[in-house]
Amino acid sequence: MTLRVVIAEDAALFRAGLVRLLEDRGHQVCAEVADGDALLAAVARWHPDVAVVDVRMPPAYTDEGLRAALRLRREQPRTAVLVLSQYIETRYATRLLADSTAGVGYLLKDRVADVAEFAAALARVAAGGTALDPEVVGQLVRSSSHAAGLAALTAREREVLALMAEGRSNAGIAAALVISAGAVEKHVAGIFAKLGLPVSEADNRRVLAVLRYVGA
Amino acid sequence: MHGGDNGRMGSTGPASAPAVNRMPGGRPGHPLAGFARRAVRAPVAGRALREVAFCAIEGPLGLSVVALLAALPGLGLLAALLAGGGARTAAGHPGSAHPGGGPVSPFGVVVIVVLAALPMLAPWGARRFAAVHRGLVAWLLGERIAGPPPLRHGRGPGRWLVATLCDGPGWRAAAYLLVKLPVTVAELYAAFLAGAGLANLTYPFWWPFFRNHPPGVRLAPAGALTPFGVLPVATFPGTFAAFAAGAAMILACLWLARAASTADRWLVRGMLGPGRLAQRVADLEQARALAVDDSAALLRRLERDLHDGAQVRLATLAMNLGMAKEKLGEHGDVPDPAAARELLDAAHRGAKDALAELRSLARGIHPAALDNGLADALATLAAGSAIPVDLQVHVPVRPTQAIETIAYFCAAELLANAAKHSSATRIGVRVTGREDTLVLVVSDDGTGGADPARGSGLAGLAQRVAVVDGRLDIASPPGGPTRVTAELPLRA
Repeated sequence: MTLRVVIAEDAALFRAGLVRLLEDRGHQVCAEVADGDALLAAVARWHPDVAVVDVRMPPAYTDEGLRAALRLRREQPRTAVLVLSQYIETRYATRLLADSTAGVGYLLKDRVADVAEFAAALARVAAGGTALDPEVVGQLVRSSSHAAGLAALTAREREVLALMAEGRSNAGIAAALVISAGAVEKHVAGIFAKLGLPVSEADNRRVLAVLRYVGA
Repeated sequence: MHGGDNGRMGSTGPASAPAVNRMPGGRPGHPLAGFARRAVRAPVAGRALREVAFCAIEGPLGLSVVALLAALPGLGLLAALLAGGGARTAAGHPGSAHPGGGPVSPFGVVVIVVLAALPMLAPWGARRFAAVHRGLVAWLLGERIAGPPPLRHGRGPGRWLVATLCDGPGWRAAAYLLVKLPVTVAELYAAFLAGAGLANLTYPFWWPFFRNHPPGVRLAPAGALTPFGVLPVATFPGTFAAFAAGAAMILACLWLARAASTADRWLVRGMLGPGRLAQRVADLEQARALAVDDSAALLRRLERDLHDGAQVRLATLAMNLGMAKEKLGEHGDVPDPAAARELLDAAHRGAKDALAELRSLARGIHPAALDNGLADALATLAAGSAIPVDLQVHVPVRPTQAIETIAYFCAAELLANAAKHSSATRIGVRVTGREDTLVLVVSDDGTGGADPARGSGLAGLAQRVAVVDGRLDIASPPGGPTRVTAELPLRA
């Protein structure tokens, strides 16, 4: 599926690489911009399927990309947002995912090195799913206030929980762990039962439930 | 005597006129002539007028304070006598319950309270007066003297009282008010000389209008006030004597005002300033704040350099390698060798760029050559400069690492500044170690005009030097040349 993408990234070299990567995959890059305001303008103009946004951009080089992304979520809900960052900042991620986990992602820039994986995450987000960086998930789980509840899970269940939090579907989890879809379903059911979470079919609702549980 | 000697002699005097006796022709000037010239010229300066104004305000002010201080105990004593009298009367009264030690009258209580309150009020009041004196010195003599830190006291009047009684700067200020009494007298006398002298100068001008009586009429002589008594002026020629006396008095007044205001300033500096220890504490507090800010800013800049530099390069490199891997395919034939080669090429370049970036970043944190001493590090630095550098390093005693680092970064910043702004053709870098100071001089033959106030790195440099009690002097007139001198202690 061809996606229409807007890229906001101030490092020209990296931006050029991203454009190439996306175009190689058959996506269409409508606009590439270097700051938050230009991003908002470009999205308002092109109504892309997804915006890929760097956190730190001019003029202040702090978190203007994240703030622009939050505004996009409010003002252009039809455009999915994938935030790329060099920080494992759980606060940034949870702010982004606070209201809804539909069509939103927070990945470390390192993830673009695994081109197929990155493209899959982008497609997932564009389709209304979630992509949360494994490092961020790991940190959220480690610092969770529900350590006792998590300790009740088996090692395999914890792996499945982490992959769920990343926003993967059952099929995606099965592929990542090289187990059958049925086994994944069994683990998911076990996790929800042990943690007392409301069962939810939609993947991104599931993400929200898991994130709420770990205290994000 | 040669004219130059006059200049030197003059420099010890208070004359603000520049040393004028530089006569290249060698014409011998009489020393007294030079002195007289300066004596006449000095008053022309606006500074002299401000000094007279200072005396005219400070004199009466000082006198009134002393009068107040003297009057209060006097009043207290008077009141005590009255109260004692009252008590005696009360004791002598037939119906008194305590003969001899009769009840203290309400007035007596007031007196005791006033007497007890005096020492408590002295430091408090003196602090207020001290602020006024410092203000006058700043306003009229142009010397800003920092006040002592404000009185620190806990909550409640009791704590305030104890703090006030133990207030060193307050008592010092009170002592100042008394110690300056002789200066006050001089200031008052200068004010008198100014007033009476000006009045005497006017005699010849109004005399013809008011004393144009017909011949034969004899009027009482008009008195002209001088330090040596009243000069009777009866005739028009006599007014010139008054005028001359006035001129002499004005001249004397200016010199007296200078002496008195200098003495007063000296006293204010010594007694109303923050005190040496407090000043030192304030300096150190400021230096510490600078050091903390500086290191925080340094870390922030480092993070930003890493984030926007090497980190992005490496992420791009990883992305290129990832794409190249895809182009190479899982196994077997390579589906797109040309694209793969191109991507690998970009990744290779990216890796080299990232290495260069990291190297320059590492050198910016701490140049490795600095481990071998300042001379080596500066030689490396000079070799990298776009403008030729004459480097001289003579440091017999090696400073501490912190000082070497500061000196190195000073030199680096100054070299970079010179390269960027000065359009110089040569830069001189000289480092000399004296007994306990390291002196770094960076000079260039460029266009000058370097100004720390105009946002260049010079202000930051001065701050960094100040952290270790060093100092930075910048001489950079428009048109050049520029010469920046940093003095650092050998150890800090």
